[in-house]
Amino acid sequence: MSVREGARAGGGGVGPAVARGVAGDPQEASVPAAPHTSSRRRREALAAYAFLTPWLVGLVGLTLGPMLYSLYLSFTRYNLLSPPQWSGLANYQAMLADPRLQDSIRVTVVYVALAVPGILVVSLLVALVLARGMRFLPMYRAAFYLPSLIGASVAVSFLWRQLFAGDGVFNALLGVFGLEGRTWIGDPDTALLTLVALSVWTFGSPMIIFLAGLRQVPRDLYEAAEMDGAGPVRRFTSVTLPLISPLIFFNVLLTTVNSFQAFTPAYVISGGTGGPANSTLFYTLYLYQRGFAELDMGYASAMAWLLLVVLAVFTAVMFATSRFWVYYGDER
Amino acid sequence: MSSSTTTSRTTSLRTTSGRRRTRAGIVAGATALVLLTAGCSGGTRVGGDAPEAASGDDAGLGDVTGEIRLAYWGSGSRVDLTNGVSDLFVAENEGVSVTPEFTDFAAYFQRLNVQASSGGMACITQLQGRQLNDYAGQGLLLDLQPLVDSGAIDVSGIPEDVLDTGRGTDGALYEIPYGAAYDAIMVNTTLAEEAGVGSPADGWTWQEFFDYARAAQGSLPEGVSGVNLLGGHPNTFIEWLRGRGQEVFEGTEAAFSADDVVEYWSIWEGLRGDGVTISAPDRAAEAAQVEQSWIAQGRVMSDNKPGNQIGQAQGAIEGAQPGQELTTVQLPRGEDGSSSTVLFTSGWSIPRSCDNVPTAAAYIDFWINDPEANALFASNNGAVTNTEMLQAQLDDESLDPATRQTLELYQEIVEDEPPTVLYPAGYQANFETAFQRAYEDVALNGADPQATAESFVENLDAALASA
Repeated sequence: MSVREGARAGGGGVGPAVARGVAGDPQEASVPAAPHTSSRRRREALAAYAFLTPWLVGLVGLTLGPMLYSLYLSFTRYNLLSPPQWSGLANYQAMLADPRLQDSIRVTVVYVALAVPGILVVSLLVALVLARGMRFLPMYRAAFYLPSLIGASVAVSFLWRQLFAGDGVFNALLGVFGLEGRTWIGDPDTALLTLVALSVWTFGSPMIIFLAGLRQVPRDLYEAAEMDGAGPVRRFTSVTLPLISPLIFFNVLLTTVNSFQAFTPAYVISGGTGGPANSTLFYTLYLYQRGFAELDMGYASAMAWLLLVVLAVFTAVMFATSRFWVYYGDER
Repeated sequence: MSSSTTTSRTTSLRTTSGRRRTRAGIVAGATALVLLTAGCSGGTRVGGDAPEAASGDDAGLGDVTGEIRLAYWGSGSRVDLTNGVSDLFVAENEGVSVTPEFTDFAAYFQRLNVQASSGGMACITQLQGRQLNDYAGQGLLLDLQPLVDSGAIDVSGIPEDVLDTGRGTDGALYEIPYGAAYDAIMVNTTLAEEAGVGSPADGWTWQEFFDYARAAQGSLPEGVSGVNLLGGHPNTFIEWLRGRGQEVFEGTEAAFSADDVVEYWSIWEGLRGDGVTISAPDRAAEAAQVEQSWIAQGRVMSDNKPGNQIGQAQGAIEGAQPGQELTTVQLPRGEDGSSSTVLFTSGWSIPRSCDNVPTAAAYIDFWINDPEANALFASNNGAVTNTEMLQAQLDDESLDPATRQTLELYQEIVEDEPPTVLYPAGYQANFETAFQRAYEDVALNGADPQATAESFVENLDAALASA
């Protein structure tokens, strides 16, 4: 029976025979059902586009449209209050000679370099402890995850400010051990470190991902390694790390991108200035200052596109190098 | 069915499908372009032509009716009080409705900028002299002088010096000031008495103020400083300049030199070096909220604060340091006795895009002249500028002590004919945080004051010229 006959046998509609025919012999299936399939596909396509319309409108109107418009603005002088004026590459040229931009890049790179490894190491260590199994595990898991939900909030940033102030809790703690404190958030040498600490404290999301991955590592591999005489460190480096490397890859990528885009803690703790003395001037905070405080939306748009390009290059490099250090279990 | 036929039909189907995909792509692309164009055009509509009702002998006069939007900053009690005033206005003007739009001060101007960029400013928009020219300079605001001349807005109760704070750099009246804030020296009288320096008398000079803090320092409890570190405080610098009789801005340029900045910084670096001020890191870590500020926590004996914050500061210090009391005195004067105080007024403006000028004008007139409305609002956003209303509030025996002190000090200041500072467009964006940042560079990073001051003035001039 041909596919068309099968379709007739199924009542002329979209019967199981069609599906079987398509799956069984693509060449044969693509021909005889043409008139029916054509109109059916058209109907399906229309339905699909109808269902996709809300998303497409959002994509074009809220994402692609504004992105392309900001690309245009990056080539203009635009103060929000009067129409943009074409200025060519002036904003990009000005970026090369902007000392505050250089400060913001330095601050952001240092922050990413300290916060990302900190988050990953702490989250992996906590996940390893929790993966061993213990009583009240769901409670511990929730407790460790909680800071991730509230860590970037304004309230916690205020709390952090109190914690690391000259008369804050942290200095009181140091005093117990006879150590002299300092004004951690008012000193340019230490203000950024308080933000790194806040970031590391919010290790919950990568920890949950690591925990899920650790529970998928086959027990028999550990047993085999142990029988071969591997100690705990060797088991961790030769079994655990390779098998959770896809999760490490995912967490590195996500945490780094998030860290490059960090904004709220610096905004709240520095009162929106990036101070003291530019020591917490994150790239995004400076972008915000230029765009909304200094009314230089053209320059801010150019900065946004530079950040996008940097993140795109970083992501591409990560994917390109992943085949050298990420191990997928189904690889042959 | 032959194989060639099959291939032919397959090709035909694929071609049709390909065309359909192409058409779908074209449609999607066109839709994207339309949406993009719509977004572009919406984002570039700015200002607008001045409505006819805003010029001529009957400017601002006409039917008071329809809906108007009222944009202001504030929260909590100010929202209730503003709504109360609007209710009174609506009760007197049948057929009018007032839609309030409020947010906190920091977010207010970001929102206003976005609204201005799309021609959507509220018909009655609150502004301050410090940001006025950012908007007036772009042609976004109506000159309200014709509305004053026609009698639509009566400003006869507002002193001329105070009214002038609502003028742009071109001399036009863009804002009707209704509330006046000012800076004052806030002093912890309990600590001052304990240190043996007593309360300062009015009429002191800047040098006497510095000496006052220096004299107290040796007798203050450990951890308490004679004065907050104000080297990076833009208001104090401006007021110090005005006390010396110097202008702050001339058109779109700084009227002060890098040497003036260095001289000012050297005063504060000297005080800091002698341990009279709080440390630079502690100053940088000071919270923005007045309740958490060092003066309200008892960490400094004196500070330069907005005069209307005395009530909040006193409330906070009663919790932090029970028994201690704060007071405010006028800012120090110049050596020749001239006032250093600069008024920061808040007032109402009407954007050129407003399509209901008569109602907006009537609302502003009601706000500044109606006794019931002013009694209700009770100088919630700076001392009321209408002298008759001010006196009425001072005569009210139920007025709380903190507000009474704020109003009495304001009355003294106005009698002194305070200097007016016209802030050029770009002032807020390019002066305030930049001045603080530059001083932090000196105090925290050890940057060379002369080079830092020269760079600050050069950048400021360049930014103001292009604003």
